[in-house]
Amino acid sequence: MENILSIKNLSVSLSGKRGIVPILHNISLEVEQGHILGIVGESGSGKSMTAFAINQLLPGGRKSIVDGSISFCGEDLTEKTEKEMTKFRGKEIAMIFQEPMTCLNPVFTIGRQMKDVIMTHQKKSSKEAEKQAEEMLEKVHIRNPNRVLSCYPYELSGGMRQRVMIAIALSCSPKLLIADEPTTALDVTIQAQIIFLIKEACKATGTGVIFISHDLGVVSQLCDTIAVMYSGQIVEVGRAADVLAHPQHPYTKALLASIPSFTPREDGNDTLSAIPGMVPDPLEVITGCRFAPRCSYAMDICHKKVPPLQIFADGYSLHCHLQKEVEN
Amino acid sequence: MSISPKKIIGILEQNTLTLIGTIMVVFIIFIGVAAPLICPYDPNLMNIPARLQAPSLAHFFGTDEMGRDVFTRVIYGARISITVGLSIVVIAAGIGCFFGSISGYAGGKIDRIIMAATDMVLSFPSMVLALALTAAMGPGLFNTMLAVCIVRIPLYVRLMRGQVLALKEMQYVRAARTFGESPSKIVLRHIIPNCLTPLLVQMTLGIGDAILIASSMSFIGLGAQPPTPEWGAMIATARIYAIDQWWYAAFPGLFILITVMGFNLLGDGIRDILDPRSKD
Repeated sequence: MENILSIKNLSVSLSGKRGIVPILHNISLEVEQGHILGIVGESGSGKSMTAFAINQLLPGGRKSIVDGSISFCGEDLTEKTEKEMTKFRGKEIAMIFQEPMTCLNPVFTIGRQMKDVIMTHQKKSSKEAEKQAEEMLEKVHIRNPNRVLSCYPYELSGGMRQRVMIAIALSCSPKLLIADEPTTALDVTIQAQIIFLIKEACKATGTGVIFISHDLGVVSQLCDTIAVMYSGQIVEVGRAADVLAHPQHPYTKALLASIPSFTPREDGNDTLSAIPGMVPDPLEVITGCRFAPRCSYAMDICHKKVPPLQIFADGYSLHCHLQKEVEN
Repeated sequence: MSISPKKIIGILEQNTLTLIGTIMVVFIIFIGVAAPLICPYDPNLMNIPARLQAPSLAHFFGTDEMGRDVFTRVIYGARISITVGLSIVVIAAGIGCFFGSISGYAGGKIDRIIMAATDMVLSFPSMVLALALTAAMGPGLFNTMLAVCIVRIPLYVRLMRGQVLALKEMQYVRAARTFGESPSKIVLRHIIPNCLTPLLVQMTLGIGDAILIASSMSFIGLGAQPPTPEWGAMIATARIYAIDQWWYAAFPGLFILITVMGFNLLGDGIRDILDPRSKD
């Protein structure tokens, strides 16, 4: 299948009051048509920054230093001007967010806001746009779209608002949908419905999806491919089933081990396992592997040398010294 | 944001001060608009034999040193004061919002330049600066309005900038950017409508202030020139008669009081109604 998005060796640094802060290190990712890529990692690992880098909406705007390429349908987004980018945003690359409660403008009706976005990107009359808005609401399984169109955001629940956001995001049939923790603020039953919606939209229209989450359960349900991020680096990428069933990187292993479980563990130890330490500050200089200080398998070489990228079959790749050691 | 007339009446019944303020403002606007219907005389009609008469049924508020009817002149004065107050505030708020939203949204150098300019204006006491500006441009009602307007602009620039800075980080504004909406549309559609509440409050309170400053300028002879029936100018001429003919200065003064207080009470009320958080 065709790649919609391929990010190659992307490094991003923000220049702010604290000087130049490197936030993404040498990231490479690919999203195929109709596929869902999950990006997982702790808070502060650079998941959302990756999303904003694709959109060219990094904090600090054009002052951020971007190296590498983001190729979207053959066009390098890092070379686009701000004006050219507005043609991509919303039309080609849509985004939904973590907090559906605050994603809609409180002073306008849902219908007005949907029409606004539709008319920004498509040459449609107000009537046609309204009709399309209604159809989009039906597509995200809202029962009486007509009533919802004339509602203000405060009249809707969180789940409904997230549906509206998805409807807006899909209204211009984007080629890529970036979902930045869209289910984090919702309760579990609503989560399931939203996940189903995203999956449905993706399979029906061939939209590629980047699903950012720290919830491995959700990711395992939804994604075809998983990329695990740590401190601005991608440590492991592979098919969802492979990564979750046979994690190779110690960080992925540790993440999976930290999922609370209902059943008592075999070894009788029922304290919740956690990864010691914290995600390093982006300004912290770490030679070698950035995870090494927290890694329980860390060897001498891990503190000295950045682990090389190792590519295996089925699009599986890994950044770790450990694997090489095992092979040797 | 949808507030029905019924709800407003309900709120007014609970909040006596707002109700009083509203009544005052409506009263002043009404007499201003209906001045020719209410008044029995021409505001500039002189009648020297009937000069400085005490209030009576023929002249409710008495007559001035030219025998003009003070009641008529005070009523016509409402027209001038309302026009002056409204136009100062609307123009100042318009210009202020424009620069304030640019300053807040663009940030960086543009922000620093605009803020430096407003700080410069704000560093003078507003009355003194207005006085100096009018004196430089020459006395007259129009120049006074212009001067007061210039003095008031920085207030709105600061207010808007603060609002925009806060709203810019709101999720819906960021969402709008990811949907590819242009900066001008984001400001017009997402930012300005959401800062209308404090703006409206500031504007209502500002009308009272603007009227007071404009009247003061007229009082010291820089604003409206005689025979214009402006309240401040009337008090200025009346002050030499104030001890023996109290009515001449008292009634224009009373109307300034009613107008300024009315707008201030109304402004406070609007803030309470539109922003429940400020009601502590």
